Amino acid sequence: MTALEVRDLVKDYPIRSGLRRSTLRAVDHVSFTLTPGRTVALVGESGSGKSTVAKMIARLERPTGGEIVALKDDGTPVSDREYRDHVQMVFQDPFASLNPFHTIEHHLARPLRLHGRAKGADDTRRQVEQLLERVNLTPADTMAPRRPHELSGGQRQRVAIARALAPGAQVVVADEPVSMLDVSIRLGVLNLLARLQREDDLAVLYITHDLATARHFSDDILVMYRGHVVERGPADDVILHPRHSYTKLLAAAAPNPDERGRSLAESPGAISQEDLTRTYDHYAGEWRPFGKAAPIAKALADPAGTRRG
Amino acid sequence: MTNLSPLTGSADEGAPLAGPDPDPSPGRRPRASGMRALVPTWSPKLATGLVLVLGIGLFGLFGPMLVGDPNAIDSMGMTSPSGDFWLGTTQTGQDVFAQLAHATRGSLQIGLLVGVLATLLSAVFGIIGGYVGGAIDEGFSLFSNVMLVIPGLPLVIVIAGFVPVQDRGWWTIGLVLAITSWAASARVLRAQTLSLRNRDYVAAARVAGEKRWRVVSVEILPNLLPLLASQFVFAIIAGILAEAGLSFLGLGASGSQTLGTMLYFAQNGFALQNEAWWWFVPPGAVIALFGCGLALINFSIDEIINPKLRVPKPPKGDAAEAIEVAVAPVPIEGAAAEAPAAPGVVRVEKRRDAVLTVKDLNVVYRTAQPVHAVKDVSITLGRGEILGLAGESGSGKTTLAYAINRLHRPPAEVASGSVTFHDRDGGDLDLLTLGDEELRRFRWAKLSMVFQGAMNSLNPVITINEQLDDVLTTHRPDMPRAERRARCEEVLHLVGVDPARLGSFPHELSGGMRQRVMIAMAMLLDPQVMIMDEPTTALDVVVQRGILREIIRLRDELGFAVVFITHDLPMLLELSDRIAVMRAGEIVEYAEADQIYDNPTHPYTRQLLESFPSLTGERGAFIRTGERTPR
Repeated sequence: MTALEVRDLVKDYPIRSGLRRSTLRAVDHVSFTLTPGRTVALVGESGSGKSTVAKMIARLERPTGGEIVALKDDGTPVSDREYRDHVQMVFQDPFASLNPFHTIEHHLARPLRLHGRAKGADDTRRQVEQLLERVNLTPADTMAPRRPHELSGGQRQRVAIARALAPGAQVVVADEPVSMLDVSIRLGVLNLLARLQREDDLAVLYITHDLATARHFSDDILVMYRGHVVERGPADDVILHPRHSYTKLLAAAAPNPDERGRSLAESPGAISQEDLTRTYDHYAGEWRPFGKAAPIAKALADPAGTRRG
Repeated sequence: MTNLSPLTGSADEGAPLAGPDPDPSPGRRPRASGMRALVPTWSPKLATGLVLVLGIGLFGLFGPMLVGDPNAIDSMGMTSPSGDFWLGTTQTGQDVFAQLAHATRGSLQIGLLVGVLATLLSAVFGIIGGYVGGAIDEGFSLFSNVMLVIPGLPLVIVIAGFVPVQDRGWWTIGLVLAITSWAASARVLRAQTLSLRNRDYVAAARVAGEKRWRVVSVEILPNLLPLLASQFVFAIIAGILAEAGLSFLGLGASGSQTLGTMLYFAQNGFALQNEAWWWFVPPGAVIALFGCGLALINFSIDEIINPKLRVPKPPKGDAAEAIEVAVAPVPIEGAAAEAPAAPGVVRVEKRRDAVLTVKDLNVVYRTAQPVHAVKDVSITLGRGEILGLAGESGSGKTTLAYAINRLHRPPAEVASGSVTFHDRDGGDLDLLTLGDEELRRFRWAKLSMVFQGAMNSLNPVITINEQLDDVLTTHRPDMPRAERRARCEEVLHLVGVDPARLGSFPHELSGGMRQRVMIAMAMLLDPQVMIMDEPTTALDVVVQRGILREIIRLRDELGFAVVFITHDLPMLLELSDRIAVMRAGEIVEYAEADQIYDNPTHPYTRQLLESFPSLTGERGAFIRTGERTPR
């Protein structure tokens, strides 16, 4: 069963430098599916195109090519009008994603009303309080009239998660949902998301640059580099037995106190020439050429930067 | 025509001046409701402004009903103020006080009309253009720019000259003034809308499926209200002044009575030459006081837009007492029993030759409710040591770093304690008592800093070489040019950036390269201590690793000591020799990195460690099995 299918997604951005116009391909033929109750992590560095994929799924950006189809439980595609009921997004920065002018209640009541899930003032109020209780913001009746600046970062992100659930979404795109939060509350928010996922059988796309939470929090991992998916597979396989040299580089660079004492002076490695044109699929257990997608440009293949001129 | 007070007018706008009786202390209420968040904080400025504006407004509103006919001619001309005529009479014996009442009403009327029209025009062109973007924005923008370069007053003079006198009502003048004065505000609004449009909450509203007009009117507009209110108030002042100028030149509305026409007639009646001050001083004073009142109100509105303008009240005599209260030990659960901090400190004290000693440092933000940001912190930085300072936001780690270097600004203040720098060449420096000039020479030369987000603090319009060179010319004025150049190349080489990039501008370098340049700049004078505040937080992990590698290598080669501040405890465990864990201004644990990892004694340290799931180890029990720390 599939909740959302992404096929050959392409996004080009026009670049103007002086009079010359060219395009930058931010996402190059990315395909994957999201399944109810499962989490797919999209892992990559800044500029890898992972947030662009999220924005296209949330319909904040229009794809240059390819398809995004949301599917109902019975397998029929979701119409354009219902798309926003079905697919919702949690933004990275809870300090920016809530309107400072409005109350918490406003943030939750609007989607409830917009998507016809609540009728009348009393029903809306009741549902808002239910949502707040689901994300552990209690007592709900004192939380609802507050404004964002009266809440901590973790509490704000809980409101943002509740907002995504308000329209009854089946697919939640979480774009770095905890990277702006204090470390000691990150796991609490991730665990909350995991509980809601179990309760509602949500399909979650978790976008992050943090390999450790990606491994523990998701079922499958896609590693993106320069707009390409360079490795995909079950979470543990990708992190513990990476095959693509970029994934290896990422795993080696992540801070890991378990390997404390490894010499920091060691080079984290580089991306091998042949890996610029292929992707590794752990499910099939084989390398695949990029096919329709262009090879990764050579100049970009040295993310660690040249040390000596 | 009964509602002339600009204050009531602005309340109709939905502006922050919600009523004549603003809450005296809105800031203290944590649960303020509705528009309350936008009400300016009560201050003497606001009070004076409101009194002036309200007083003149009421005078304009009710004055004309209480005075006699302003045009009644009397044979007694040019009498000075008396019991019968409070402000004397004009040349033709008219009552100046009666004239002033009517003229004030006339001026306020025009000011209000200009304010409303100009604000509406600027809102339509600025906000809609800014939000919709594309061709409409280009068109609106072009139109505003054209309107902006049309010189206002001359245009008004020309138009006023074309419109026949009998058609030149007060509203004609108001309309012309409004049309020539909205463009600048529209540009400001457009810029602000462009910025708001890209906020996440606007994107979130779009994802929720809100319609465009609702996004603009419900999500964006309320956040522009303080700006609109301030522009409205400014437009009123400008309108009244421009009208007064026009009328004084004899180009005002026909048959109207405003403060400007009063001045015009006073001028024509040779009031100045006759020393009839009672004729021209009152209208001038009303204009000046009203403008002054509105400007004072505008200051208060500006404080909402830009909270930085709020000046903290100077500490009173009881401040020291307040600190004493705050210094009272804050118990941390289980800390007293489990984490005897002192033995650890003593143990590491002797191991290395110290380069920096911080002893019992207390830093307090002297705001209305003093915040004790750093409490009794004692650390010793050994020569060539990397000390990790771990903590979450609000733990005081950055405040501590700033205080060490005396970079903290009011209201932050070092309440007690000492910071001693032990120079390589012998001699101790007490950093907290250094004079300004000594401090200037000390900073960067002996102790340098790499700031948070430092890669964005390079000046974008001058080359890397000039920026590095600038440090050298400031601190080593005698150094010959060639030597300076060589030194710049050398430090760039040290941090792994090609010296050929010296001629580059910051935007030509990647984020990681810029951060390396900042580290190079901090190393330029061969300091003995470098304080790095989250130097790699904005960077990708691969780039981060490259920079950490560089820091360790350089430390080994050059032997400087590093205070590395971050929330990323796993990174510190790999990088540092010793780690100090900070929470709520206190160092809760201070020990060798191994010790912290293998045998953390403080519960908070353990909590922090558990917050980072292991990359390659077992899945922690807490992940995906439910909420362990419901907060």
